[in-house]
Amino acid sequence: MNELVLTLGWLGIYAPMALGAASSAIGCAIAGQASIGAMTETEGGYGRFIGVSAFPSTMVIYGIVIMFTLNRDVTPENAGGLFGIGILSGIALMYCGIWQGRACAAAINATKEKPEIFGLSLAPAAIIEGFGVFAFVFALVISAGIS
Amino acid sequence: MSDPDAYIALISSLPGSERLFVAKQPPISRLRLDRRLRALAREDAQVLRVLEHALNWGDYDMDVTDVQAVERCKAALGDIPQPTLQKLFLERMDLRTAVAALRLRKQGGSSPAGTFGMGRWARHIPANWSDPTFKLESSMPWLKEAQQLLEAEDPLGLERLLLSVSHKQLKRHAARHLFDFEAVAIYVLIWSIFDRWAQSNAQDAATRFEKLAQQAMADVADIDFEGAYA
Repeated sequence: MNELVLTLGWLGIYAPMALGAASSAIGCAIAGQASIGAMTETEGGYGRFIGVSAFPSTMVIYGIVIMFTLNRDVTPENAGGLFGIGILSGIALMYCGIWQGRACAAAINATKEKPEIFGLSLAPAAIIEGFGVFAFVFALVISAGIS
Repeated sequence: MSDPDAYIALISSLPGSERLFVAKQPPISRLRLDRRLRALAREDAQVLRVLEHALNWGDYDMDVTDVQAVERCKAALGDIPQPTLQKLFLERMDLRTAVAALRLRKQGGSSPAGTFGMGRWARHIPANWSDPTFKLESSMPWLKEAQQLLEAEDPLGLERLLLSVSHKQLKRHAARHLFDFEAVAIYVLIWSIFDRWAQSNAQDAATRFEKLAQQAMADVADIDFEGAYA
């Protein structure tokens, strides 16, 4: 039984990093495809498209920081806490990254026609980033209570 | 339900359109559009072909009968697996059925026995033949205007109204599909509307009339089009 609990603890430590990496990869791929499509139809502003498509890469950074914060000796007493925080923060980061990628793709698709809405079109992606930051910060706060 | 991210690059590579009836041309030429559509998966390309083939008037022979047209549309509907595309296809069929009924009635046609056309109103329309809008005003608020334009013998105005209604229907569905196959199919159907309007000018109409006249007279070998007998 203890082995299972300890395994869950290790799973919780690595989950934010793994799920964050997966979400950044998917999000950047989604937004990246949009920027490639937009580049075939526009005459300039390519750098902007590529910059926007890199937005979801922040999720893996948050995941790495949470992983380092949770990283400690895993015991039967702290394994449950590590698992809960790690898995849930990882899932939150994953959703944020994927949907941020979709929001960025929509922004790129819209701004290829109307460059003047570039800033405003990024608002949804920025709001999603805010939710990712919530998941990140409160994972750090809660992890301080785990022995 | 299609993969929501299946055609991100394709959709992003397609130019948006200006306002309908303001744009003189479709936003992209058919040649370039077809080149972009090569990115579609084979089965999606086939569905799009079926959809376009069933909805494009140019793909129908002039002497096609109602029964043949309805059979063709029913067969096409069976080959379209996406619920959204089925829905918009049926909406277009409803529109065409209602307009065909208006035209038939204007020509003095009596109430068809049983069903007429295809879609939700195939039985309702013959049952309400004498009503100016077949008692469909709540479901099709544009039908009254269509009837008035038909009575006023304003074909261009009627064409404009029908294209506008079809365009609105497609835009409503487009709002729920960003980067999936349905979004691509809706783009192509909207492109067709722009193309149809762009072709609605006098010169094209004259050319098409001449083509149709030649087709109709093809069997009469001893008459040429200069008005002289051979």
